[in-house]
Amino acid sequence: MRSSAPLLSVRDLSVTHADAAHPSPADVSFDIHPGEVVLLLGPSGSGKSTLTLALNGLIPHAVPATMSGVVVAGGLDTADTPTASLSTRVAMVFQDPDAQIVTGTGYDEVAFGPENLLLPLDEVHRRTEDALRRVCLWERRDENPDRLSGGGRQRLAIACALAMGSPLIVLDEPTANLDPQGIDDVYAALTDVIAAGDRAILLVEHNLDAAMGFVTRTIVLDARGRVAFDGPADEIIRSHADELVAMGVWLPAATLAALRMRDAGAQFAELPLTPAQLAAALASERPDSASPTPTGRLQDPGTDAGPTPMDRPDIRASTLQTARPTGAAPTPIIRARGLTVRRHRTEILHGLDLDIAPGTLTAIVGANGAGKTTLLQALAGVVPPPRRQVSVDGMDPGSASPGELASRIGFVFQNPEHQFIAHTVFDELAHGLRLRRTSDAEVTARVDAMLERFGLEAKAHVHPFLLSGGEKRRLSVGTALITRPRVLALDEPTFGQDRARASELLALLHDLRDEGTTILIVTHDLALVAAHASHTVILADGRVHAAGRTADLFRDERPFVDAGLRLPALQRVLAAAGQALA
Amino acid sequence: MSAQTIDPYAAVAEPSPRRFLHALNPLAKVAGVAPAMVVLIFVRDLATPAAFLLLSLILIVVGARLTARSAALLFLALPVGMVAIALGFSLWVDPALVAHTPVVARIGDWTLFQGALAIGAATALRLGSIIALALIGGLTTTGPDLVRASVQQLRVPYRIGYTALAAFRFVPRFGHELSVIRAAHRVRGHHGGSGPFARMARGWGYIVPLLAGAIRHAERVALAMDSRAFGAHASRTERHLVPFRLRDAVFIGCCLAASAAILVIFFPWQLP
Repeated sequence: MRSSAPLLSVRDLSVTHADAAHPSPADVSFDIHPGEVVLLLGPSGSGKSTLTLALNGLIPHAVPATMSGVVVAGGLDTADTPTASLSTRVAMVFQDPDAQIVTGTGYDEVAFGPENLLLPLDEVHRRTEDALRRVCLWERRDENPDRLSGGGRQRLAIACALAMGSPLIVLDEPTANLDPQGIDDVYAALTDVIAAGDRAILLVEHNLDAAMGFVTRTIVLDARGRVAFDGPADEIIRSHADELVAMGVWLPAATLAALRMRDAGAQFAELPLTPAQLAAALASERPDSASPTPTGRLQDPGTDAGPTPMDRPDIRASTLQTARPTGAAPTPIIRARGLTVRRHRTEILHGLDLDIAPGTLTAIVGANGAGKTTLLQALAGVVPPPRRQVSVDGMDPGSASPGELASRIGFVFQNPEHQFIAHTVFDELAHGLRLRRTSDAEVTARVDAMLERFGLEAKAHVHPFLLSGGEKRRLSVGTALITRPRVLALDEPTFGQDRARASELLALLHDLRDEGTTILIVTHDLALVAAHASHTVILADGRVHAAGRTADLFRDERPFVDAGLRLPALQRVLAAAGQALA
Repeated sequence: MSAQTIDPYAAVAEPSPRRFLHALNPLAKVAGVAPAMVVLIFVRDLATPAAFLLLSLILIVVGARLTARSAALLFLALPVGMVAIALGFSLWVDPALVAHTPVVARIGDWTLFQGALAIGAATALRLGSIIALALIGGLTTTGPDLVRASVQQLRVPYRIGYTALAAFRFVPRFGHELSVIRAAHRVRGHHGGSGPFARMARGWGYIVPLLAGAIRHAERVALAMDSRAFGAHASRTERHLVPFRLRDAVFIGCCLAASAAILVIFFPWQLP
């Protein structure tokens, strides 16, 4: 083993949150040595984030939780050293970039930590400049962090962690709140930091594709929060891929794709972990294999990780996006003609034409500022569009009352809390019906049915804000569906959510679609679109840039690139290998 | 979060010798005008507030670098607001109190007396002069400088000062969140009628989601600050010293002397 003392030593650590029955993580032990880049994996609920909070003393000092076992960071026992002193041993980068910024310029922000440490002025300046240069923000040091993109703000947070001078940096889902461009930005910065070799890293992340390139070791927690595997990342993932998938651990997209291809009969000498490895494997296999690598199943197990549904027993793998019978085009359920929307005197949508066929799951994608959310809000009447430009299921959202709107199209906001208006879950669901003067008996019957469908029976008299995150999301969908609209619109429904919750929602959407509901979602997650949407609309500068079946659109990267989007690495590689993508 | 929201951190202007207000200690600007502001609350005449108003405007024009926005505030918004207040108050004054003064206008059996106008004008001038005095510091000081001066000279604990500063960042975020909540409630048909009471009821409906979001956000910010050694020591390195110099004492002295002179000259203590 190594002769140097570990940067971090965790022994028999168990943490029980104030409102939890069982500890997670439970009895976890590991060391981190200089130069290591550790990826912490585990299914949702295994306590990954909790574990990170215990590493710099936020647990037990700031977060209400019971902790047993010992964490020693840089020779200091976290149980009796305040977080402020531990910050020179372990630096943190959190998920939400906005919640980490406390000052008004990039320079002040990075200097904030060294100033708190009471370092001499010269040292503060030296560290701040060094950290800002390493994440390529030195030129923008005098700007308000609000003016940076999401990826830029998260790079700033990494600079702040670097400036603390600690030999270990812990990053908890640093890209979960970012768009694809931001994810690339953050990984470029992180790759540079790691290349310098002066910092060890512990990373909790589910965007594994970029991370696999530099991770040296992985620690996997199981559902109960115990260490299941600990060792070199590629070895563990390659030799235990099926177990990891069964545990509900999120694997690199390239690995998942390869697993599905393998199930369909493809052979891989070595399971690929990165899109590049997958491309190489496909290229080497191609010439000698008589039958082409099976296509068509790439999209099929649309839910979370692989062919087996594993997050929750009640979530079933979604159906294939098989080609539905393509006879004469059905009458569109949503039709926009010359839709022009202005906001604050700026024209955002310029005479847009759009048809959406009933029974589809259509994704609206586009670069920032392309007008995605504006379009969705106009179609759903959240911001009423000009009259006679839009028709949704025979209704004009430009002139409809909220009651009429609710019976034709349900709208689910990004943050479910925003749309809750009643004091109990029951009243929340009943609201839409009472607004339409439905009889009490029918209200009760329909609300009870909805409660049962979404697994909320036990919570009928709970305040909506006291539900768990997943329950809130289900309730928000339930409130949109209670009036039985034929169209459901969702604005960035998976943004900032963990994978388990996102796949739970997607499984639900597939079920609804199978029942005939037309679903319209705005998202920036093109991997999600490729896997789940039947149709895709690409917006650029307030106009429809391209629209069609997802399977057809994703064969070619060009319409996405022209619209300022980047296909996820996996899709790019598959396109290059001549694979059908969806 | 549009670019139009006011940035509480933005540097106001580069200090230049002529624009001396920017170079003064923020506390001096507060201490210099505070006594006059307190006294103005109690005066009832026209001349005293008018003199203070004029003096502050001159001081700002001479000593501060004006942007288009602050010029509009001073010479458009302030006068318009004062005229509105003057008219509003003169309608509101009990006519019996001023029935002995000359009549200015008569509409039907409603009469506007000169005394009512005078009271309205005095009120408007008073409010206007207090605002103008506050703007002497307000237009020439940044939030961080005020916090730094409070920490450095008034010995306000830095934990309080810098936390307050961090809270500034919440404002645009909550503004954005509120607009989303309102759209969400509107689309769900939570109108509940029009009128002030229905509006208030709707307002309550916005508070719960807004607070829930705010508390969660504040907790995260607190964890992030703890992780960056906030509160590690009794003091922290100050990169920007905000010194209290002789010129600050001189400024306070001049302000107090000018205030005293105006009060002595106009002697506003007798009732009108």
